[in-house]
Amino acid sequence: MKYTVLMGALLGLVILFISAQANASEGGPELKHPNISMDRKTLQKGVEVFTEICMGCHSAKYITYRELMDYPEIGLSREAVDELRGENALLTGLITELSPEDAKVSYGKVPPDLSVITRSRAGPDYVYSLMLGFGHDPDGRIPDGHYNTYFPGRNIAMPDPLSWLDHDQEDEADLKEQARTVSSFLAFIAEPHQLQRQAIGRWVILFLVLLSIVLYALKREVWKDIKH
Amino acid sequence: MIERMLNSDLAKWLDDRSKIVQMTRAHLTDYPTPKNLNYMWSFGSLALTVLILQILSGIFLSMFYKPSAVATIGGYSVAFDSVERIMRDINFGWLIRYMHAVGASAFFFVIYLHLGRGMYYGSYKKPRELLWVIGVVILLIMQGSAFFGYLLPWGQMSYWGAIVITNLFGSIPVVGDFILQLLRGGFGVGDPTINRFFSLHFLLPLVLVAIVVIHIHALHTVHSNNPEGIDISKKDTIPFHPYFTVKDALGVGIFLTIYAYFVFFNPTGWGLFIEPDNFSPANGFQTPSHIAPVWYLTPWYSILRAFPDKLIGVMAMGLSLGLLFLIPWLDRGTVRSARYRPMYRKLVVLFFIAVLVLGYCGHSAPTEALKLIGRIATAVYFAFFILLPFVSKHEKTLPVPKEI
Amino acid sequence: MADNTVDSKRRNFLWGVASGLGAVGAAGVAVPFVSSMMPAADTLAASTTEFDLSSLVPGQLVVIAWQGKPVFVVHRTPGILKRLTGYEHKLKDPESHADPRVEATWMKTSEQRLTRSIKPEYLVLNAACTHLGCIPLFKPSPGRAEWGDSVPADWPGGWHCPCHGSLYDLAGRVIDGSPAPFNLYTVPYKYLADTKILIG
Repeated sequence: MKYTVLMGALLGLVILFISAQANASEGGPELKHPNISMDRKTLQKGVEVFTEICMGCHSAKYITYRELMDYPEIGLSREAVDELRGENALLTGLITELSPEDAKVSYGKVPPDLSVITRSRAGPDYVYSLMLGFGHDPDGRIPDGHYNTYFPGRNIAMPDPLSWLDHDQEDEADLKEQARTVSSFLAFIAEPHQLQRQAIGRWVILFLVLLSIVLYALKREVWKDIKH
Repeated sequence: MIERMLNSDLAKWLDDRSKIVQMTRAHLTDYPTPKNLNYMWSFGSLALTVLILQILSGIFLSMFYKPSAVATIGGYSVAFDSVERIMRDINFGWLIRYMHAVGASAFFFVIYLHLGRGMYYGSYKKPRELLWVIGVVILLIMQGSAFFGYLLPWGQMSYWGAIVITNLFGSIPVVGDFILQLLRGGFGVGDPTINRFFSLHFLLPLVLVAIVVIHIHALHTVHSNNPEGIDISKKDTIPFHPYFTVKDALGVGIFLTIYAYFVFFNPTGWGLFIEPDNFSPANGFQTPSHIAPVWYLTPWYSILRAFPDKLIGVMAMGLSLGLLFLIPWLDRGTVRSARYRPMYRKLVVLFFIAVLVLGYCGHSAPTEALKLIGRIATAVYFAFFILLPFVSKHEKTLPVPKEI
Repeated sequence: MADNTVDSKRRNFLWGVASGLGAVGAAGVAVPFVSSMMPAADTLAASTTEFDLSSLVPGQLVVIAWQGKPVFVVHRTPGILKRLTGYEHKLKDPESHADPRVEATWMKTSEQRLTRSIKPEYLVLNAACTHLGCIPLFKPSPGRAEWGDSVPADWPGGWHCPCHGSLYDLAGRVIDGSPAPFNLYTVPYKYLADTKILIG
């Protein structure tokens, strides 16, 4: 019994250590932490920001126009989707008009597809911070519009999409909201079933805890026969 | 109820033609098991549980996964696209994918505890040497299978991990280049590689099932060890059913609860089970800032990195795994359980700590401090094997009980 | 020491509950796996096809894909529609009753049953010959002027299957003497707008 407790405690410590390590940032400035939410209003606003601003250069090929209607969390109307997709079929992904060749010429690199971007970087908080991270280089080396506090190396090829640099104070709240909603949208499309996953998970864990309690009672009962 | 089933007419008919009832009694229901086993003995049945989960989830994933590195728009590949299709379009595909990814890590977690039990309680000592050897073979096959599997999503970590590890094999003298070409199927890691890795990833677990059967056969020939490490008489054994079926079922229940927590609420395991870089599609022209194998391979990777010479590093890594086979013969003592071997106990606990430290170092970016710590831990790791013959021959053991 | 009867009862109860929960759990695990083998979301999304009828000129036929299968869409002229009667005795199944697949829930009026379409001008039918599945050739003009001997002298206009010679009229009804047993099968469709249909 003592051993089990000791082992369990040790294991718990190891796990705590691991999670603390994993959650610690890899270095670089402390990220901003917006309220990422996946309610319909936020996600629909995020679609707007994405299609109007980001899709100028970026694609999100794993999300189709049809899914903007079909996923209940987004639930755009047929008319809204028809407006967004123009000539594109319902089942096409959100693909930008900017060809990789043209992008290379204009920006030096191809803008990455954003379908799973919040899973491959430090999450939606990083995207949010990046949007609002455009500033002036204190060393004066990196030109305005490319200096970003949060981008590794500080020199980002992407031009300030929300025009955050030197924005008017009165626009600040609106720009922050655009960044928040588009980060939430990207977090959602990175894993569209996450809300279902958590909902089902609650029931599964409940069931397994119940099962384990019953099995424990059964074990104790059966082992009454044995002197141990 | 089990008794009624085993005594039924149908069971007798089947038994006359296959000995199925006899075998069930001998190896499952009536199988004599020491009555003093603690919960550290649950990890074998847990490992079997995870193996079944992995094969089940793996077979279903392979209905939808496509092992092709052919490029698709956005810098992705057919393979990456197929995994995203599983995550988005296949009904419950996301669940099956997460079960498989979490299951891989769960498998190693369970197996390391299983090995640790063996090392602590002397379950490798006579007459269980062969059982231990078969177990180490299982570990190696698991590592191979996991390595092949990690390539399949064709993310950045998949690709670069494969480049690094196949390069390692390439550094073996004489046969290195040949093995490299065999593994890669071409000059670099590409479409031929992913296709054959998929085939091998499917094959190895099935080979594993056969070896697990042999492992259990070897176990049942010599019967289980116990925490006291002593040979016990028949009177101190109890039938496997209902005592250990129920106890193992409890172990499975608790395990599944923890497993389900990860699958449903933390499927990437804080980035340890599915690394963030693997959500970026493989890019042969851009190495990620930080390449490390998945956590369960990091201790061996750390040993590799501890040596500046590439060939020596590879040999050291191979040796670190190969020495595991020799433990039953390096240990010259007569007492099995570390409960009664205070000197050995310190040595083996140091070994466990060294493995944990090596794992941490292997996962992190190599700073000067961590490099030093990694080298010290490597030294401790090998010191275990070097000191074992001496410690076991000359240690003062505590008096071992005659019976439990 | 608890007496044995109570122990047995408790023990059996616990065995029962544990086994029951175990069975429920096993069934629960089976559900996602079996479900994964049912058509995926993207497959289902592709299970309907939209078509814009205004793209067809009068008299034109197109063959479009629905669920991967070919479907005829014809913009029939008033002339064609007038020619659909007068030869019922030459048809195997003029009223489309012979098989569930040759009729449809939208055949509500006798006109719809005759023209085998919701609106008379636009015909939407499964393009597979009901004999062995070849796609018949569209030969809309009556008589032999355009088609020569490939069609009978009293050809009303319609389809001629090149594989084994089955003949259908311009409502897809099979003509006597054809190896094909049934009229061309219907497909489920409805109008989304005046000239837009949704098949499936």
